Amino acid sequence: MTTWVGAPVPRKEDARLTTGRGRYLDDIARSGLLHAAMLRSPHAHARIVSIDVSEAERLPGVLGVLSGAEAAAASQPIRPLIPTPTPLRDWCLAVDRVRFAGEPVAAVAAVDRATAEDAVERIQVAYEPLAPVVDPEAAIEPGAPLLYPELGTNVLWHDVLSYGDVDGAFTRADGVLRERFEIQRYASTPLETFGCIAEHDAGTDTYTFWTNDQRPGFTLAILAESLGVPQSRLRLVCPDIGGAFGNKRRPAYLLTCALLARKTGRPVKYLEDRIENLTALMHACNGVMDVELAYRNDGTVLAFRIRDIADEGKNLVSPTQHNLIKLGNIANGYRIGAIRYEPYSVLTTKCPSGANRGIGKPFMCFAIERTMALLARRLGLDPAELRLRNYVQPAEMPYTTPTGSQYDSGDYPATLRRALERFDYRGRRAEQARARKEGRLLGIGLATSVEPAGTNLASYELITGRRAASGSAEAAMVRIEPDGQVRAALGNPATGQGYETVVAQIVADELGLAPDEVHVARGFDSLGTPSLYLSGSYSNKFSVTDVGAVVGAARKVRDKALRIAAHRLEAAPADLELIDGEARVRGVPGRGLTLREIARTAYADVLGLPPGEDPGLESRHFHSNPLAAPVDERRRVRSQLVFSNAAHCCLVEVERRTGQVRILAYLVVHDCGRELNPGIVEGMVHGSTVHGIGAALLEEFRYDEGGNLLTSTFMDYLKPTALDVPDIDVDHLETPSPFTPLGAKGVGEGGSIPGPAAVANAVEDALAAFVIRSLPITPERVWSWLNLAGETGARRTR
Amino acid sequence: MISVRLTVNGRAVERDVPPRRSLAEFLREDLGLTGTHVGCEHGVCGACTVLVGGRSARSCLLFAAQLEDATVTTIEGLTPAAGLSALQSAFRDCHALQCGFCTPGMIVAAHELLAENPAPSREEIRAAIAGNLCMCTGYVSIVRAIEQAAAARRGGSLP
Amino acid sequence: MKPAPFAYVRARSLDEALGCLVADPEAKILAGGQSLVPMMNMRLARPSTLVDLNAVAELSGVDAAADGGLAIGALTRHTDLVTSPLVRERAPLLATAAAHIGHRAIRNRGTLGGSLAHADPAAELPAAVLALGATLVAAGPGGRRRIAADDFFLGLFATALAADEILVAVETPPHRDAAWGFAEVARRAGDFAIAGAAVAAIPGDVGRSARVRLVAFGVDDRPIRLTAAEIHLGDPALTPDAAAAAGAAAAGCCHPAADVHASAEYRRHLVSVLTEQVVREAAGRRAARREGESRWSQSP
Ligand SMILES: Cc1cc2nc3c(=O)[nH]c(=O)nc-3n(C[C@H](O)[C@H](O)[C@H](O)COP(=O)(O)OP(=O)(O)OC[C@H]3O[C@@H](n4cnc5c(N)ncnc54)[C@H](O)[C@@H]3O)c2cc1C
Ligand code: FES
Ligand code: FES
Repeated sequence: MTTWVGAPVPRKEDARLTTGRGRYLDDIARSGLLHAAMLRSPHAHARIVSIDVSEAERLPGVLGVLSGAEAAAASQPIRPLIPTPTPLRDWCLAVDRVRFAGEPVAAVAAVDRATAEDAVERIQVAYEPLAPVVDPEAAIEPGAPLLYPELGTNVLWHDVLSYGDVDGAFTRADGVLRERFEIQRYASTPLETFGCIAEHDAGTDTYTFWTNDQRPGFTLAILAESLGVPQSRLRLVCPDIGGAFGNKRRPAYLLTCALLARKTGRPVKYLEDRIENLTALMHACNGVMDVELAYRNDGTVLAFRIRDIADEGKNLVSPTQHNLIKLGNIANGYRIGAIRYEPYSVLTTKCPSGANRGIGKPFMCFAIERTMALLARRLGLDPAELRLRNYVQPAEMPYTTPTGSQYDSGDYPATLRRALERFDYRGRRAEQARARKEGRLLGIGLATSVEPAGTNLASYELITGRRAASGSAEAAMVRIEPDGQVRAALGNPATGQGYETVVAQIVADELGLAPDEVHVARGFDSLGTPSLYLSGSYSNKFSVTDVGAVVGAARKVRDKALRIAAHRLEAAPADLELIDGEARVRGVPGRGLTLREIARTAYADVLGLPPGEDPGLESRHFHSNPLAAPVDERRRVRSQLVFSNAAHCCLVEVERRTGQVRILAYLVVHDCGRELNPGIVEGMVHGSTVHGIGAALLEEFRYDEGGNLLTSTFMDYLKPTALDVPDIDVDHLETPSPFTPLGAKGVGEGGSIPGPAAVANAVEDALAAFVIRSLPITPERVWSWLNLAGETGARRTR
Repeated sequence: MISVRLTVNGRAVERDVPPRRSLAEFLREDLGLTGTHVGCEHGVCGACTVLVGGRSARSCLLFAAQLEDATVTTIEGLTPAAGLSALQSAFRDCHALQCGFCTPGMIVAAHELLAENPAPSREEIRAAIAGNLCMCTGYVSIVRAIEQAAAARRGGSLP
Repeated sequence: MKPAPFAYVRARSLDEALGCLVADPEAKILAGGQSLVPMMNMRLARPSTLVDLNAVAELSGVDAAADGGLAIGALTRHTDLVTSPLVRERAPLLATAAAHIGHRAIRNRGTLGGSLAHADPAAELPAAVLALGATLVAAGPGGRRRIAADDFFLGLFATALAADEILVAVETPPHRDAAWGFAEVARRAGDFAIAGAAVAAIPGDVGRSARVRLVAFGVDDRPIRLTAAEIHLGDPALTPDAAAAAGAAAAGCCHPAADVHASAEYRRHLVSVLTEQVVREAAGRRAARREGESRWSQSP
């Protein structure tokens, strides 16, 4: 029997997407559709004294205007994913106060977007500016301006989590390396911006949303609660989604459109423009980390002490996640005896921080892998050798880290060795030495990482002390239609990962078909797609939960089909096999029943069913990954469940006079377990790695002291172009996970995690005399480091 | 309202448009040609790239009113009646797309390149698509796909 | 991100366009739209009337002038500057500068006149035109006038053009024995320069040595002549040593501003580096050319 899983099957999606026949949010037409625009705060922090929308309402073409006060009267506050200690009330529009520049204050629905924008200009708002708080360390200080005075602090979470004998390890250590690292705000900026259409059917009092929201389960719950409408009256549809990377969720926009739709009686669309997207959707959390590493002189790493300040901006939906999620890779691939982690989750008057490819883990990996590079330098060890001395060994798998993460599988030393060989690490070191003699600055950077997948929401119990949502799960459906054709759907709307193809591969294998014979629904439709609160595209979870849901659904429907066929063929189900769309009696050529015939029995000739068998040939499966467990008594938790790993090698050249950095070569060796579709996997590796490179060299949301974003267009917020990135070389190992149905592990976040560290390590290696503590590595900063290095060098010789 | 007459994908089109209607909106909303995407509206991302008079242009930076007598070709016009073009099938074969939002603009830019330079080097390919952002693929497989399509169009295979 | 409302006029002739500017003082010319339209989309520019020049055929094209120079229509697209054999031969600096602008789709629409009239201090073409010592031809209600490039750029996005004038052509001087150089540092290929430099040695009248014009851009409120550095560069002195001296002098000539991409200090440093680099480049071209010529004259 052919197995489709594991083959680089061309994607089913691509025939439509390469020809312009995709159907994205902005392609959806509804009759009578109105277009919304938003008035956004020009202040980082201000009290709203008054709003006058009358002039906007009078503009021809305007059908409805919504102010914050009106929204607050017509809806309930938005429930956070993670509750704050004191309940904070936050509506879809700012009510009395704005807390970041770009926060929506009012919204207009008009016949077209241009008219809506004309109207927005006519809304008069009187603001009383308040002091902004931009720097997260300043936000912690007593006396800092408070975003929520009722909270009495800007700190949403502060804790000290101690695992193992940390102080003992530091006492016993030969030395301690202390360093401080910072990470900037950046984002994956999907090419399609975020938006929605909301339609209210007054006759049935039901709402339909079309949206490129990547987490429909959670969003539906919020919409129902905030609109005060039973969830049974809500429908949410995701069309093709033009990338998401964690960024695409903002239930507030859906709510705003729903309120405008209710008010005007017409469907209302809102789609961010790019400035709104960059200013107000979501930034990867910036932060400051103080790392202390206790080591022995032979390079053994004994313990870490880490203080981590996460700048949430005005994030009330999912604050603290940027700290918490770091527990998943705080030990990276190393055997570390003891860890102390002191998280601060801090509000500031900036764009909400939020999920962005890798979420928090790129910074964690940056800090650890930078520290390892510095330790190698300090001890005069090769950075590769230092890592090899500290890796968790394959024989130790599954291995539990001090914080409770369970590394399921993988061979970290072999991954690095493969990388060193393929990168010609020794040869390149020699090349580097030669180049240096000619005055050229070449640098080689290594970074290795674990890549966690699947989030166990129970870990939030560490913060709130009680369990709300928990576990990691997804839902899928497989149906053999009355004509024998197969259809599948998944609670996770794809955002570019090619799930239609991969789901078809999985179902094809289970049902003995070819992927072309399995139709997989595009996107998501809450009416037809089974789903959970936990459903959605997030946390690298496809391989951890979604595959299980698909396999489960396919097997259920297969078993039923075989039972029906067995009954009709008067054979035992165990003697049947499904091949080429037919249930055949093993070893008896010619005795079989096609899926079409089986389906006919299931749907039409129901008296032909086995006794006790229900009609129909459809199954739904809700899969919960069994690894998810509650927080234990030592406050350990499996915040994430399954771990891929990778080694990145980067060769850069630094132009001495200008500080410009060029990546000459880049290699990734990774292991994501069984590769369901190697073509797709390779694309994920390339793409995620470029996100890492972008963060390392180009991308930065920069704020001035007043809390104004200075890089709010693609002219100033710099994404890597085809000329900024190298041909990334990719190789892989394949260590299947014992804990996922097909042995697959996460691959979506991939290179975004070690990428920034690999590039920084390479540039630092080229400069040789400077410590890189923050990103991005701009030419100007390199130049200034070269100057500093030059000065200290000169001083040393003097 | 300004009246414009132009040719879009080989078809004559005549419409009245408000002056501020961009070519992108005109194609998408007035003509229903939604293959042309909008990603930034300030000329940087390239998602909206179409051919005007055979040359690539940002449809977000042109007003429909300007296109009197112009010849516009969009991704729909670069798609054969049945099946896929050499570029389109190379994109599929090479996994040169993920979310697909950049793909129509990429293919337009690649089409212009291959029309002028049937055997571009990798560096030339990278330069030709440097004005088109892809947030998903990291460009590696896009470059490969364009190389492969160029070879296919030349009737050969890759070296 | 939609523009505020405006009226649109598709001008069929230069006179019609000029008339529109007179009729509406808030009117603006639309050429390639690659600078104006993004600003309109963001509502940073709000012309009440947009006067589209694109149908005025007389404004595009490259003509060879009798003196060996060029007359280039204001509506000539950047792509055509890059590819025109005439421009590559007679004003290679201009072709090279144009190739540094944005990306292909931008160059296909953007125009020489638009770039000069827009006068972004970090733009390539204003710097190239200044280095070449070109002459800009403006048409107004009262007729045409010729403006030396030295007198054209007045400040940040400010030029010598009056509100009712249209830039119609650019005349570049003969460039027979020309040595030139062009370089910039940008964050990414295709971005506006953080800093850049251009140099051109313009042949003098018969028997007189060339004038060397050295220009920096991205480092002041307009492209600027580096006069203090030019002193080191008499024609015979277009040498590597002189390059270093010119580079050192260049930094003092400019008044860079800081922005999100670079500080003033870094820009000043880059001007020195790039000045030295373009002068070396020019010297190298000059040497290669002379070598080629002498080989040519020696061959039978
Ligand atoms: C993504 C992107 C990247 C870019 N990168 C660069 C770059 O690296 N370097 C660079 O230099 N430029 C860059 N540009 C801008 C581009 O070069 C523009 O083409 C140029 O600056 C303006 O030319 P235009 O013909 O498009 O003018 P328009 O945008 O049409 O007009 C610009 C201004 O000039 C006026 N104007 C135009 N023509 C005339 C005329 N003949 N007489 C009087 N006034 C006139 C207009 O009224 C307007 O005020 C970029 C643009 C984009 C969108
Ligand atoms: S939408 Fe036109 S370039 Fe981005
Ligand atoms: S495939 Fe998503 S932007 Fe290119």
